[in-house]
Amino acid sequence: MAKRQRRIAEAPAELNMTAMIDVVFQLLIFFLVTQKPQDTLANLDVFRPSPEKKQEQLQTPPKMIRVQIYPDGFTINDRPVGAEELDSLLRKLAGIDTKQTIMIMCSGQSKHEDLVRVLDLCAKSGLVNLSVVSTN
Amino acid sequence: MKKRADEPGINMTPMIDVVFQLIIFFVCTADMQQKAIDESIKLAMAPHGKPVEQKDPREVVIEVDNKGRISIARTYMSPEYLYTVMRKTVNDHGQSTPVVIRGDGLTKHEAVKQIMDACTRAGLWKVKFAAVKERSS
Repeated sequence: MAKRQRRIAEAPAELNMTAMIDVVFQLLIFFLVTQKPQDTLANLDVFRPSPEKKQEQLQTPPKMIRVQIYPDGFTINDRPVGAEELDSLLRKLAGIDTKQTIMIMCSGQSKHEDLVRVLDLCAKSGLVNLSVVSTN
Repeated sequence: MKKRADEPGINMTPMIDVVFQLIIFFVCTADMQQKAIDESIKLAMAPHGKPVEQKDPREVVIEVDNKGRISIARTYMSPEYLYTVMRKTVNDHGQSTPVVIRGDGLTKHEAVKQIMDACTRAGLWKVKFAAVKERSS
């Protein structure tokens, strides 16, 4: 008697799920196919001279390290270097002091990629005071 | 434990309706956010850069494509017009508004320089460059 009663009580709870599951799977497959994996992004901070400080910035203090970017390569304190050498030099400099100012001078014709690469190498070495200046 | 025969099971239909509505809502709004940035820009790689943390809601994203054209939210503009936009930004949100430059890796520095000059003239000093830390595929 008790068994029979339970069967009666449970009958309306049995929902026909098939149609819903079909739709949900369709949606799932649609989103899996259409979604594009996102790249992990990074932000590279730089310091920009404020307009009033512009004059002051131009006269380079002797201690400042100047990295110049040309369309065909990099120089550090006027010495031409490759990317690997620049990396090792920056790491050495960071070993002395990570707070020192690195002045990155980028020529107008060079690629943005190169500037990002130099900023990345600075970030890798832990240098934080980066100032970007454009040259002609 | 003992159920009365006249008590029906829970009717799931309205709940499923609501859940689907929510899913569709989130999918649509997520898509909207994607549309504001130019997908064709190939950012340069920076494997050691700082990952993007919590965003400042005031943040302005300026994009430069590989032809050196400047745009904000897919609206192309001249450097002069960008300057007026930046000045308005300073008026509205102050000089500490962060500016993110999404520059294509192959673009010339000149275009980026024009953006930085416009920002400097307007008095914005928090400039960041967006780069890809890790390619997803």
